[in-house]
Amino acid sequence: MQISPVDTQNYLLLAATLFCTGMLGVLVRRNALVVFMSIELMLNAANLTFLAAARERLDATGHLAALFVIAVAAAEAAIGLAIVIAVFRNRGTVNVEDIRTMKY
Amino acid sequence: MPPIPNLTAADFLPLWPAVVLSLAGMVLLLSEVFLKATEREGESVRTYQAVFTVGAAVLAGGLALSLTFEPARAVFLAFAVLDPFSSFITAVACLGLALTALLSDGFLRQRQAERGEFYALLLFATAGMSLLALSNELIMLFVSLEVMSISTYALAAYLRRGPRPTEAGFKYFILGAFSSALFLYGAALLYSASGTTHLAGLASELGRIFADPSSDRRLVVYCGMALVAAGLAFKVAAVPFHMWAPDVYEGAPTPVTALMSVGVKAASFAALVRVFLAIGRHVEPQVPVLLFSTLAILTMVLGNLLALPQRNVKRMLAYSSISHAGYLLVGVTALFVPQARAGLPGVTVLAAGTRADQADALRAILFYLLTYTVTAVGAFGVVGALERREDETRGFGWDVDRFSGLAQRRPGWAVAMAAFMLSLGGIPPLAGFMGKLLVFRAAVDSGLLMLVVVGVLTSAVGAYYYLRVVVYMFMRPPPEQATLAPHQWGTEVALAVTAAAVVLLGVAPGLVTRWLGPAGHLFGQ
Repeated sequence: MQISPVDTQNYLLLAATLFCTGMLGVLVRRNALVVFMSIELMLNAANLTFLAAARERLDATGHLAALFVIAVAAAEAAIGLAIVIAVFRNRGTVNVEDIRTMKY
Repeated sequence: MPPIPNLTAADFLPLWPAVVLSLAGMVLLLSEVFLKATEREGESVRTYQAVFTVGAAVLAGGLALSLTFEPARAVFLAFAVLDPFSSFITAVACLGLALTALLSDGFLRQRQAERGEFYALLLFATAGMSLLALSNELIMLFVSLEVMSISTYALAAYLRRGPRPTEAGFKYFILGAFSSALFLYGAALLYSASGTTHLAGLASELGRIFADPSSDRRLVVYCGMALVAAGLAFKVAAVPFHMWAPDVYEGAPTPVTALMSVGVKAASFAALVRVFLAIGRHVEPQVPVLLFSTLAILTMVLGNLLALPQRNVKRMLAYSSISHAGYLLVGVTALFVPQARAGLPGVTVLAAGTRADQADALRAILFYLLTYTVTAVGAFGVVGALERREDETRGFGWDVDRFSGLAQRRPGWAVAMAAFMLSLGGIPPLAGFMGKLLVFRAAVDSGLLMLVVVGVLTSAVGAYYYLRVVVYMFMRPPPEQATLAPHQWGTEVALAVTAAAVVLLGVAPGLVTRWLGPAGHLFGQ
């Protein structure tokens, strides 16, 4: 039995779903770490889009883009987690709703 | 796979400012290691870091200015461009960096937080701004955007023992990373629709997609464009993507706020202009005009209205920074009108639009960024100079009451602050007025009368909260037992330079505008 290759369209739809899930997570969730994970999900949705398009067009640019994004996401994670730790040391919580000393 | 061509020394030319800045940052980081062993606790030994940073900024800015005389061309296989516009943006960012470093010296010394990392991060962020201004490809844009942003996240949270700086860093990080992800997914969608990430290739590919009425890719292109626009609108703090700005600007250390409000904004505007002049040319011509005029109106109106009730001067300046992004967006809108004359609501056709209008708008944006840089850094400098450490945890260190009677206690600061406030309010003959005049003139030439009317009316609203600070400084008695921070030479120098520049740019704008001529065209546009 031969398995037919998955259509590019489906990859793009999956990526769009992942992106929307991530965006919803950033907007709805209250734990800083979960928000952070949702942002990573959004970045990876972009990666999947780059890779799917690159595969469809047999073009290397999309693969390169994904590699760069992975490197940048790692740097972002390093700084982001450091900031989350600094917040936790200061307040003992990483709940987004509790982190608001400054008012309008 | 095409063979990899040899890069020549000419390819590296536009990178020199960024190279100088990054090398200076690394030298500072290394010097910190050696300093630790010898004199960690030295009183004045740390000043060399600020001086070194200023030197690197001046060198890089000078290199950038000399690059403006180079003919415009694509370099690095068209991943980057060398054109006067990007070089001027780099020079403005370096100016912001030099002034910020001068302010930082005294600010950090008062808080015993002088460490090489701070200046290194400032230098890396500015290198990112320089790269952002010259990138001509979506992935390179993304990487430069992140170099700039990640450095500023760390800078915002630099005073990590205080609750406010960490909160500012946290909010900036979450919303900054979110906006970067929006930008990236938009770039991915544009790539999947067109098969290229080079802006020039993207432009011709979009032209093909939109020339073919049966193409099914338009929706993907529009989604990508909207996401890229949203990502960059976050970075320039345009309403409705401004929510992070007041909290971050208030909580971050004041010199960092100064750099965020000028350098980050200038570089993000450069990226916005470059991306949208490439991809906005071939979509239906009304779309970019409607997009940017909506953003501009919202930003001008809400930025000014939200600033009205602020008694906290630092927060007021944050909202003022938002409203200035709105005036700049008027200039950005004017860039797209020559292509979209017919059938636009709110556009009055005065004359046939030409590419000269577009060039005027670009020069006006550059000049505005320059005037805003000197004015905002100066204003944040005075705010920072008046701050006291013990107020920081309680959060009223920036109340307008702190400015009462400043004219009697520190006449020099009061006069400088008055100049900055009047310039921000756009009152002649100061720099802010000339900047607004040039931007609004470009917009009127393009027929955007409605936007200009909104801009002028909201500037009038702005005069209220800017003048309130002036009134407090000159007409209220000083509070009793008011202690002032001691004089810091760096702050004094920065305030003198910015105040002189604010007056000079307002009285004799020709000194600068005569050099801006070649910056009217982006390479390849």
